[in-house]
Amino acid sequence: MFKVFEKHLFLLGCVCVFGTSILFAQNNLKLKYNKSEIYAGIEVGSKGVKMSLIEINRDNQKNLDFNILKDSSVNTDFISFTQPVFQATLISLKGLYNSAINDYKLTPQKIFTVISSGVKIQAEKVEKSIWIRNLIDSFKASINEPSRQVEIVDVLQEAKLSHLGIVPSSRRYNTFLIDIGSGNTKGGYFPNGNISDFKLFQLSWGTKSTANATEKRLEEDKTITNFHKQLYRVLSGSANDEITYAVNLSNAYNMSDNIAFSGGITWSVATLINPELIENSVIPVTYDEVEKFYERIFINYHSLSGDEIVKTITDQTLNKTIISKEVKRVNQVFDQQSLLAGTGLLLKIMRQFEGIYEKKQFYLVKNGQVGWVSAYVDQSISNQSVAK
Amino acid sequence: MRDSKSSLLLLISLILFLMSFIILCTWGYNTYYKKKEENRKPVLTLNDSTIISNATKAIATATRDSLQKVYAATVKELDSKLDSTWDYADSLKGPLDEKLNDFFKLRNEITSILKDKNNTDNLGIARQKITELQKRVEELSGRNKDVELENNRLYAMLKQLSNNIKEPEQQNVRPVVFDNKPESTILPVKNNISKTINAYIISDLKLSALIETDNNKVIETYQAIETDMLTGSFTLKNDNGPNNNIEVIIVVIQPDGKVLQKSSWESGTFTSVEGKKIYSCKMKFDVTKGEAKRLNFSLTSDKYVKGNYIMQVYHNGMIIGKLIKLLS
Repeated sequence: MFKVFEKHLFLLGCVCVFGTSILFAQNNLKLKYNKSEIYAGIEVGSKGVKMSLIEINRDNQKNLDFNILKDSSVNTDFISFTQPVFQATLISLKGLYNSAINDYKLTPQKIFTVISSGVKIQAEKVEKSIWIRNLIDSFKASINEPSRQVEIVDVLQEAKLSHLGIVPSSRRYNTFLIDIGSGNTKGGYFPNGNISDFKLFQLSWGTKSTANATEKRLEEDKTITNFHKQLYRVLSGSANDEITYAVNLSNAYNMSDNIAFSGGITWSVATLINPELIENSVIPVTYDEVEKFYERIFINYHSLSGDEIVKTITDQTLNKTIISKEVKRVNQVFDQQSLLAGTGLLLKIMRQFEGIYEKKQFYLVKNGQVGWVSAYVDQSISNQSVAK
Repeated sequence: MRDSKSSLLLLISLILFLMSFIILCTWGYNTYYKKKEENRKPVLTLNDSTIISNATKAIATATRDSLQKVYAATVKELDSKLDSTWDYADSLKGPLDEKLNDFFKLRNEITSILKDKNNTDNLGIARQKITELQKRVEELSGRNKDVELENNRLYAMLKQLSNNIKEPEQQNVRPVVFDNKPESTILPVKNNISKTINAYIISDLKLSALIETDNNKVIETYQAIETDMLTGSFTLKNDNGPNNNIEVIIVVIQPDGKVLQKSSWESGTFTSVEGKKIYSCKMKFDVTKGEAKRLNFSLTSDKYVKGNYIMQVYHNGMIIGKLIKLLS
């Protein structure tokens, strides 16, 4: 009798510790909403594996309100499709999954795992799609969850999810979202006032591919002046033709009032143009502002360092340490050449929407990288609720 | 052997209970103090020690209620008058500030007397102070008239001056307000004067704190802790400019000096004559010559703190209207 009682007592103790530690672990995260739930989205992308801990607001039924609690990534370069990289990606994927379970006490139902469209496209291009299949199977086996769903998202789905995750519903049907990536640019809009129809927009130019094309033209003269000159030629040549054609084909000029940009270069431009709005996830800008910024990168790059930017801030209510830290992060990710290339490409696309009579409102979205994962998580939760 | 095993199990169970208890206490402590800090609301307590004291208090409450009504009406009257007083008040700001400070001090004194339900002796003093408050409001409204008269005089003078400047130069030049350059580069003048040469005249500025009741009604409040939303409105008149679509920028500064932003999509930065500034929201609209338009906006925040909320309206980088709203 006493033995049974002891056993129950022991089990109860374990349950108490487990329950309170969950409470403690989640309470350590800085939550934004009163009524919210925490989910994790783990994405295998071209550059590596990324985990976003997302707080989804359950108070707002109309909009997808989310707050990024934590963003962790491991660079593995999966798209090089080699055995060591495969192993590194698998270990990272498993490691982040276990971290969500052990460190943040999330249940497997609240962890979503996906393979991005960039990986899918590259794998199809070099006929390595089997590597993705193998990665998924190895991951399921390693976590002992054979029924786990690891979806391979296609480009249309990713662009659509990005739009749903980033753009508020009040602007959903008049906003054209363009994601400038490192190797390509993709985006689109909802042309018919419903979320079923999505008009996809794609370019084969991204920040890195524009910088690479420019570098190839440099020859012996590696100066920034020559880079600037050659970049102008790259953007005025085949890039310009493709951009003009793609924008015209999309009919986005006639159908959209707002043009929103996301992607790494967008985050860096937004941070450097408006350091005052460091806490804002979206920054409204004008074509002129970006054009002036482009010239500033070339003529006065020194003024874009963390210390110099902080000197220009007069508002005493702003946290200069946070601003300086974020600016330094931008400078670590993008050097002068890649910043010029990315901003040049951004300007070239913006130019297509800068009419003489009709001005579009431009926005730079900083947290675009988690937009589609957040929308994916939200959609999966909704599907789960419907299934129940 | 079995005994030692069961004692060990018992000991582990106790340790586990102790651990969970400590974790729960830490969590509870943090949550309690965080919530306490966030939801610190004034609590009114009733002392029901004896029936006699209750009866006395009922009479006092009735007196207090009537006094509170008089007080609320006085404050409301002043608030509506302040809206227009602050507009164009920069040149007379010093004395006005002094008077306003007196007013706010007096108002706070009355609030604290009326809040103290246990003390019935001070009601006479409260009545006296409310009379004084009413007198101050009258003084301020008189001052408001002075400001408006002064403003009209300055406006007429500047209109004449700008006509004199225009005549010998170009007859067909557009008003300065429509040039792309900031006005200060064209005509360097002080802010308080420059707004009157703007083609647009702003009046009836209002900033209200609103509370949503349980039955979905929206009522005005003067308490920061009760506020769910701030709404602002003003009238903009196109005095002598051509028919045009114009853009005005609204800046609402919170007591901590930070700008209250509508949302990431609706707020941003702009260049004013004082430098780069963050704005709360923008408004674009069409206005024909001579037309006056009433414009409204609303701003929401998770938390409102006590103190002065400054509403500024900018056009072409220049401030054209300003208002201060106190939330206690």
